[in-house]
Amino acid sequence: MKRLWLWFSLVLVLSLLLASCGQNAGGSRLKAIQQAGVIKVGTSADYPPFEFVDANGNTTGFDVELMNEIGKRLGVKVEWVDMPFDSLIAGVQEGKIDAAIAAFNYSEDRDKVVDFSDVYYTSEDAFTVVEGSSLTINDPAQDLLSLKLGVQTGTTQDDWLTALVDEGKLPADNLARYDRVDQIALDLKNGRIDVMMSDAVPAEALAKQLGGLKVIYKGVLSSGPMNIVLPEGEADLAKAINEILAQLKAEGFIENLAIKYFAE
Amino acid sequence: MLSNFLSYIVQGTGVTIAVTLIALPFGLLIGLLLALLYNYGNRWVARSAGIYSLLMRGVPPIVLLFILYFILSGRLINLSPFWAGSLSLGLVSSAYQMEILRGALAAVGAGQMTAARAIGLTRLQAIRYVILPQAIRLAIPPWSNEASIVLKDSSLVYALGVPEILRRAQQLSATTGQPFLAFGAAALIYFCLVFLTNRALDYLAEKTKLPTQPV
Repeated sequence: MKRLWLWFSLVLVLSLLLASCGQNAGGSRLKAIQQAGVIKVGTSADYPPFEFVDANGNTTGFDVELMNEIGKRLGVKVEWVDMPFDSLIAGVQEGKIDAAIAAFNYSEDRDKVVDFSDVYYTSEDAFTVVEGSSLTINDPAQDLLSLKLGVQTGTTQDDWLTALVDEGKLPADNLARYDRVDQIALDLKNGRIDVMMSDAVPAEALAKQLGGLKVIYKGVLSSGPMNIVLPEGEADLAKAINEILAQLKAEGFIENLAIKYFAE
Repeated sequence: MLSNFLSYIVQGTGVTIAVTLIALPFGLLIGLLLALLYNYGNRWVARSAGIYSLLMRGVPPIVLLFILYFILSGRLINLSPFWAGSLSLGLVSSAYQMEILRGALAAVGAGQMTAARAIGLTRLQAIRYVILPQAIRLAIPPWSNEASIVLKDSSLVYALGVPEILRRAQQLSATTGQPFLAFGAAALIYFCLVFLTNRALDYLAEKTKLPTQPV
């Protein structure tokens, strides 16, 4: 009899889970957003200069200002939802947020569960080491293999390094994964890892902010074009956002933002 | 700039307190109900309550939080992350609070029930007027432990996108590059909250102590 109860409760829990996993009802998300007057956008505000919290406690950054402008042109208010980076895709998938912008790069795996807007900016990968280190990296896929590496969980850099591990080239013990990019930089300074792999822009921001770090390699390996993450199959929403992105590019708005935040 | 940042963390304290003030009483309500059912219900009811507690305590809070969040914030019920997170935390805590109250109810001697029945009280009256007032008093010290655990576990609701103290400290650490300062401030706030909570409950336990109650 004891068994029976256990099974009963297991079935109950599983059915509740399944009931909650269904797809959202059909219909245009764009219409729903315009009706509500609010677009809920997820980000992970711990990645300066793309998204961070400023001295007054406001969420800001390159991505944030860009999205606020997109919201303005859609005629809706942007409601920011701060989440851990690796919850963002799930958030869009489950319909908890209408979009996510957090220096996302296109990847095939992600494309299976969400859609992507057009490219709004192109980023590079960077390798960062402590100042005074004599390390040089010319061919990353070769030169990295004997080093201890740090990377942020769920990023395209993580995928790129994980692929090296899966191919048996990079020993799994050499790769440490972190929740946030500033944690990697600190462990790098503390000597627990040899090299940090990340987007180039935040790498340079961190090197400047923390001091004692230098970027020794920049190039497109894993990242590259950045896109806004949108819910799967919401063509209206994607079209509206892509049209605005095209306008913003034509007007030089994005370029000005890049100058403001990345000092290019 | 630094003082602005620190005040930004302190603002998160309100969120942390709010989450705790929802989760704790909610968990207490359910925990008390389940403890009564466990101790005085028929065997099927008691067994169900036991299984509930077993399941809830057998899974890490963060995992339950995610599962409950996706139920509480799904299509049927659609709560905001704040409410879904707070109620989920309350459900997680309810199993622990049930165990505390179950122990406290059992600690009131069985003779009391017999005596209460003998003077003509019904079972419900005996529980309401004789057993429960003593059990609740006995439960305060272990419950104060649970209160501080819930207070500290409230940092888990960040995983659902609620910006409480810990999350704000993370953001501050990322923006300023001063993790020691950011997390030190968070630690200090948590400590003060837990310290005050425990002191208040100690005081309550002392004030409400019965003359018959062992120290």
